[in-house]
Amino acid sequence: MLRLIAFRLLAFVPTLIAASIVLFIAINVVPGSAAKAALGIDATPQAIARFEHQHGLDRPLHVQYLAWLAGVLRGDFGSSFQNHVPVGPELLARLPVTLELALLAFLIANLIAVPLGAIAAYFHQRRTDFTITFAATVMGAIPNFWLATLLILLFALTWRWLPAGGYVPFTEEPLRNLSMMIMPALSLGIVSSALLLRIMRSAMLEVLSSDYIRTARAKGAGQGVVIRRHAIRNALIPFLTVGAVEFGFLFGGVVIIEDMFLLPGIGSLVLVGIINRDYPVLLAAALVITVVVLSANMIVDLIGSMLDPRQVHGRSGG
Amino acid sequence: MTDLAAPAGRPRGRFAGSRHGLLALGGVLVGGVVLAALFANWIAPYSPYELNVAAMLQGPSAAHWLGTDELGRDVLSRTIFAARISVEVALVAVGVGLLGGTVIGIVAAYFGGMLDMLLMRLMELLFSFPAILLAVILMASLGTSILNAMIAIGIIFIPGFSRLARAATQAVLRQQYVDAARTIGMSDARILGREILPNVVTPLLVEAAVAFAYAVLLESALSFLGLGAQPPEPSWGNMLNTGRGFMAQAPWLGIVPGMAMFLCVLGFNLLGDGLRDFFDPHLRD
Repeated sequence: MLRLIAFRLLAFVPTLIAASIVLFIAINVVPGSAAKAALGIDATPQAIARFEHQHGLDRPLHVQYLAWLAGVLRGDFGSSFQNHVPVGPELLARLPVTLELALLAFLIANLIAVPLGAIAAYFHQRRTDFTITFAATVMGAIPNFWLATLLILLFALTWRWLPAGGYVPFTEEPLRNLSMMIMPALSLGIVSSALLLRIMRSAMLEVLSSDYIRTARAKGAGQGVVIRRHAIRNALIPFLTVGAVEFGFLFGGVVIIEDMFLLPGIGSLVLVGIINRDYPVLLAAALVITVVVLSANMIVDLIGSMLDPRQVHGRSGG
Repeated sequence: MTDLAAPAGRPRGRFAGSRHGLLALGGVLVGGVVLAALFANWIAPYSPYELNVAAMLQGPSAAHWLGTDELGRDVLSRTIFAARISVEVALVAVGVGLLGGTVIGIVAAYFGGMLDMLLMRLMELLFSFPAILLAVILMASLGTSILNAMIAIGIIFIPGFSRLARAATQAVLRQQYVDAARTIGMSDARILGREILPNVVTPLLVEAAVAFAYAVLLESALSFLGLGAQPPEPSWGNMLNTGRGFMAQAPWLGIVPGMAMFLCVLGFNLLGDGLRDFFDPHLRD
């Protein structure tokens, strides 16, 4: 088991490095654009050359990348082109906002998907199944930023129940924090629940037609016990494994939703980086989002293989 | 025993009809969007750019069925013209993804070995990035324009198509006719073009319908963030973004463009699901 964990963690390092290379290349895909973007279209060639020299942008791309990577490994994400403030502390201050939003949204998505997916599977190919599956298709087609717009229109502008945006930390005013987080979390969570619901339904269908469920029934276990104790529990393993991918999509969604609700998280920092053409800020914020997504995938992958008895026994020689 | 353990097969009776109904609904929605895009000049009652200061932020009326925006432009006309941008971007983006992904997937499967491993590792990595994040970064780097939005979204689709093309190619490679083609001395290029490509087209086209929905969504998101279509060019994304600033007085500005996006995405999703059921019923559950 320990060997399995160590192996997965070791294999994760090249993935992270490769991901950072992809991001670095994506941002620098047009050479010289950083200086032009930062200085404006009227910048003289001399000013551009000075700017590039000052920020080390006149070095070959691989040298720039290695210097940046060395900095990141020391916890130094560079400084903003705009105000020269170090990016690292800014990231640290913003990360809790984004994590809270993403986790709340994921919780909402699961609260919708798990029971409805299980119910749909239970009533396989009957009216209830059809209705739930159709509802999932509809939910999945709603752009999350439109859902956010509708929620603001209803709950903030029309009924005035919730604030349209803003942020206070949970530790300072928990209730106010939740009242500000609920609409952004719903916007992300409801849309994400669509795919999760389909996954839960499929996982549940597979479990319900398996031999051990037949055995449990044959032994006289009641319907409720079979569903709760056996079916849902076993369906959750494949569900969580695939669900992690959805967490990644959901986490990417924070870029738009944080901006709409004026939440000072990593997602809105990506947009700040883009609007100001502040590449160190953009690169750092994008890297944090990518690392969180990849880590979530890796952790769930690891949990999945730990829960799968074939893997455990196979590795430990059982 | 209840029908809990019933095998997942073809849908029964009434709900088989419902599934066909959904496919038809998808077809109607997609048809509507495509017609709007093709014939916007004839269908739209006004020019999408025509300002009318006397009719700013007016609610739905006989003259303006879906009301007017903050510059007095007809919202219905702008929504119809915006379909054109969405369809154009989605078409090119899906084309880029389909072409790039198919080439990479087929080459990886056909040549196998180290090349296969390297290409697929790269695809896996690209696939793990949140799409909108990658799109936003590529747009920031390439510059904001419709053409760049098409390229950025297309790049995002490459990994998905390449996986599918690779799997389909591997299945075809196991068939005897490929061995036969090799035995009679056909070149690699001819085998790829004549024997393999025609056999992997169907799953790729089904995937393309679903990718189309996603492309519309991504284009709208980019335009919403100000990184795609630039005003006054109407796009559902930029209409929604501008409109939400006036929502307190004119709620339709926050509803109409979003509804158009939603119906378009729903249409392509239903069409994709329906096609998938039709071509491969085993995949449904």
